Amino acid sequence: MHKAAQRRIIIPFLMPALALLGIFFIYPLVKTVDLSLNEFSRTGMMRFVGIEQYRLLAGDPAFFNSLKNTFLMTLIGSCMLFPPAMAIAWALSQRIHGERFFRFVVFAPVVLSVAVVSLMWKFLYHPTLGLINPALKSMGLGALAKTWLGDPATALAAVTFVSVWHGIGIWIVLLCAGFERLPADVLQAARIDGAGEWRVFRSIMLPMMRDLLRMLAILWVVQSLQTFAFVYIMTAGGPFGSTDTVGTLMYRVAFDRADFGYAAAIGVVLVLVMLTVAKLLNKVMKRDDLQY
Amino acid sequence: MTFSTDLAEHPGPPGHAAPPPAPARTRRRAAAPPRPRAPFRPHHLFFYLLLGVVAFSSVSAYAWVFNVSMKTNSEFISSPPWQIAESWHWDNYANAWDRADIGLFFGNSVIISVVSTLIGVVLAVFAAYPLARIAFRFSGVVLSVFLLGLMIPWMVTFAPLYLIMQDLGLVDSQAGLILVYATYNLPFNVFVLVGFMKTLPYELEEAAAIDGAGPTRTFVSVILPLMGPGLASVAIISFLQNWNEFFYALLLIHSPEKMPLPLGLFQLGQAADYGTNWATLFAGMVITVTPVLLGFAVLQKQITKGLTAGALKG
Repeated sequence: MHKAAQRRIIIPFLMPALALLGIFFIYPLVKTVDLSLNEFSRTGMMRFVGIEQYRLLAGDPAFFNSLKNTFLMTLIGSCMLFPPAMAIAWALSQRIHGERFFRFVVFAPVVLSVAVVSLMWKFLYHPTLGLINPALKSMGLGALAKTWLGDPATALAAVTFVSVWHGIGIWIVLLCAGFERLPADVLQAARIDGAGEWRVFRSIMLPMMRDLLRMLAILWVVQSLQTFAFVYIMTAGGPFGSTDTVGTLMYRVAFDRADFGYAAAIGVVLVLVMLTVAKLLNKVMKRDDLQY
Repeated sequence: MTFSTDLAEHPGPPGHAAPPPAPARTRRRAAAPPRPRAPFRPHHLFFYLLLGVVAFSSVSAYAWVFNVSMKTNSEFISSPPWQIAESWHWDNYANAWDRADIGLFFGNSVIISVVSTLIGVVLAVFAAYPLARIAFRFSGVVLSVFLLGLMIPWMVTFAPLYLIMQDLGLVDSQAGLILVYATYNLPFNVFVLVGFMKTLPYELEEAAAIDGAGPTRTFVSVILPLMGPGLASVAIISFLQNWNEFFYALLLIHSPEKMPLPLGLFQLGQAADYGTNWATLFAGMVITVTPVLLGFAVLQKQITKGLTAGALKG
């Protein structure tokens, strides 16, 4: 029977992939927890210290600052992301002229490297040589010109905007799929009953897409809690730590202070925070299934 | 109202009642899969305005980068940003390619992305086969180990990963980066390929076994040739991710001559902060962005679908 013969290939077929995954993912994953219980001296010696790292972490103002910034970024980002993404997806699901072109423009940043996008925006934001300030001045809005990335008041929002600009295409495509799945007969019935387009959107489309929105919100939170490259390239956490995120703090702790144990502890806490927030969001946004 | 338009579009034979409208409408929709453009309605004005603003600002950002890449450094500093370059300085590109090492970074990126994508796809297709088509005791466990890789944020494990790479002597080596990229492509590739393989009919293996083919032979000459579209989409997405990746390159590569494009460009950007070599940097950005945008223009559908599925994995 060929089933018996098939069994012989299971292990050789699976082994190479599992070996790579084991060495470069599973082992480091387990090791993260182990590392977080150890202390590294500058010479690279390791000493077991138990939960000492976590106790240090609980009283570390730099960590709380980075945690605050990361959450702020997630919050500001969701305000910058969802309303425009919703509006654009709504627009794109209407079969308007130039749909293919608009889809291309909106999704294009997603295929670009985070490094290139960050670099490009770093120069667009440049106070005198960039594009944004001179453009504002020429429109007579010179008062709005700012040193976007150099001012603690605007730097966080400016960096967040770039990460939204880069990723918004994904959310738009997913929301478009949501709009296209809406039952056409329900919408038609509302329109016949005299509901305006805005009313249809607010009272029918939005509630019906609730589950999708909940999933997308969680997706955004999980992704933005890991923000690293945008910040690292554009501001490196400055000015005055106003854009320091958990990701950049972790990286600096590991490579500037050579304290891998502390970095691993931050990583463990980050995963726990992520899981908690995702669970909470899931619970808060969950409603009884819609009947129609 | 609707009744009369239906009648106008489907004039029934005289003397008969109009055909029931509902099935007629569904039939019409099924017959023409690409929905016709909606007729213009007032609220579309808002949509066009919105999309217009978004498109205009994005396109002008790219145009600005391209324009600067054509200016000289002194022209860039002295002229307003939207002034078109006086003459097209293609020599910025030559400079970027040769003297700023963009050519070298480009070559590195090609090698790293191609090799890691190949390893990631080949290993994934081998691993996916038993997981999708052979029932064995631990298949569920093994599959969930792969899926774990889709759920845990990889970034948090960077500290131990760095130490392991150090022990293996793979820090600052392209081989090390290639292995890491290949590994990080695996979960998504396995996930997609398992799904794809499950859609193939199970009679394939039985027929091959009756014809006397061993399991390996069956896999290579029966299953693999049917995997074309699945392999293509997985390869495109892996390649794109490996081409764009920044974090692990930053973590693992230190010598400039081994850097892939995003890291090399970042390093050049740091230098441009203090120096004055702006034009070269912008030429480098255009060189990095152009092939990706061209590829995206050609493969828009597949890439959009693949990346969206990739985002959903979390």
